[in-house]
Amino acid sequence: MTFARGFAAEVRKGLLNLLAGWREALMEMITFPLFYLLIVLFMGRGQLRADLLLPVLLGMVALTFIHEQVNRVFWSYLGDIQSGVLEQTYLTPLPSAASILGRQVAAVIAAVPTALAVLATGATAAGLQGGRLPFDAQVIVPLAAIVLGTCGLSLILCGLTLVFKRIEIITQLSVAVYAIAGGTLVPLAAMPDPIAFLSRLVVPIAPGIEAMRDILLGGHSLVALPTGWGLGWLLAQPLLITAAGVIVFNRLEHLARHRGTLGRY
Amino acid sequence: MIEIDALTKVYGAAQVRAVDEVSLHVGTGTVFGFLGPNGAGKTTTIKMLAGLLTPTSGQVRLGGFDVARQRSAAMAQFGAVLEGSRNVYWSLSAWQNLMYFGRLKGLRKARVAERAQDLLTDLGLWERRHDKVGGFSRGMQQKVAIAAALIADPPIVLLDEPTLGLDVEATRTVKNWIAEQARELGTTILLTTHQLDVAQELCDRVAVMRQGRLVADLPTRELLARFRERDRYEIRLEGAAPPGFDAVTREGVTTINVRVSDPREVYDVVERLRAQGAVLESLTQVQPDLEDVFLALVSEPSHA
Repeated sequence: MTFARGFAAEVRKGLLNLLAGWREALMEMITFPLFYLLIVLFMGRGQLRADLLLPVLLGMVALTFIHEQVNRVFWSYLGDIQSGVLEQTYLTPLPSAASILGRQVAAVIAAVPTALAVLATGATAAGLQGGRLPFDAQVIVPLAAIVLGTCGLSLILCGLTLVFKRIEIITQLSVAVYAIAGGTLVPLAAMPDPIAFLSRLVVPIAPGIEAMRDILLGGHSLVALPTGWGLGWLLAQPLLITAAGVIVFNRLEHLARHRGTLGRY
Repeated sequence: MIEIDALTKVYGAAQVRAVDEVSLHVGTGTVFGFLGPNGAGKTTTIKMLAGLLTPTSGQVRLGGFDVARQRSAAMAQFGAVLEGSRNVYWSLSAWQNLMYFGRLKGLRKARVAERAQDLLTDLGLWERRHDKVGGFSRGMQQKVAIAAALIADPPIVLLDEPTLGLDVEATRTVKNWIAEQARELGTTILLTTHQLDVAQELCDRVAVMRQGRLVADLPTRELLARFRERDRYEIRLEGAAPPGFDAVTREGVTTINVRVSDPREVYDVVERLRAQGAVLESLTQVQPDLEDVFLALVSEPSHA
């Protein structure tokens, strides 16, 4: 019961902070669709090509979630460490992982308005080109896989923050690497085999994006995905990354307690 | 009750002993002053007490629960206001902060709301409960931090420099409140402060750390009594002192400090003054305050 109450409190706090920072959310709702259109324009050599609009759109939606889940959670965690609030969450019966998971859920909810803005922009642009935004309920599975896998990545980054504090560069780099190697812009099938292999193996959004494209653009079933390593890996990879995230976070938290770097106090 | 047994923390390859075999037992309803100069090991001890730092050896129990092995149960006994930290979210209102920390402590929503209302009313913040804490004065922010630490009504509360930077009125409110928590509600309060007058006024018992070790752990009165200087007297005179006395005159009042080997010698001194025409205003035995005791303890090898 303590876990559930603490978890719910953490989600609520995240949403209150989101409301308090509504200007930032509004900026993202404007800049992300613009960024999406610019990418398509660059890739289309100045034209909003119909064959690029939808594949890039799916990658951009996935990137929106990873951006919110990694950046929002990392910066809020670092902010709590620097302002000396994080210690107070450790002075409760709540396991610290619950706090991070609560932050993750709040970040996922925070990503929804921006993702919807990107989707609306993509749908409008596709409509202007005579196309339409397809929908298939099966897409929820790869989207959930992206969200879950990103939780694992975020846990690792939060654990590193407890020990090393100033790791902004690692966070920024990981989001950038994921944007490129996750197949958001260029499909993994078009990448060199070793890079595609590594991406499918360790990048939380890579199998999800491939599956989303197969389902929505290729019209394939979830159980018969033609690209990537199939449904089994789509489900297993985020679970493995999240499990790794929990283990790494716990080890780094243990190290931080040992060294005395937990928080600012 | 707080029980600390042989607590030790050794840092790094240099094997720096920040805390060395510290043992403390603080009874229920006690206001316990935990004092020491900067670098004495107080913060390290507090961090281990709060479970924020793993001890090299030793044990901490809060309300009978081992902080290392029964963390959840131990933390349910504990609330803290940590010095140099915000402790609460400035982006949230006082009410939202208390609801958040209350729920984090595992309380039901209705119980948190009831307790938050009591605390905010007691601390004079009820009218401002929906304002963001970031817009509050330092004293009000400190009151919110104290309320958040007490939201779950923990039997043990750590207050690290609770009155630092507060104005006279806010300091008075916090001091009264600390005393009330301990005396009327039986809360055990561990108070660390460099404001020794605050410690002397509030603490039933005082421990002093120096270089990672405890150099004193006694009831406040007993500690002061041990350092009472039976051989020192202060004599105040109206007007100037007669020749032959080492005196200081300020604003028309002359003070002579006298050190004697036998209290009966004071009569001789007074007789000499009378004989030379001095007008006696007062004669008092010098009583040490906690600051005198503290300075004596931290500058000598060991005491108590």
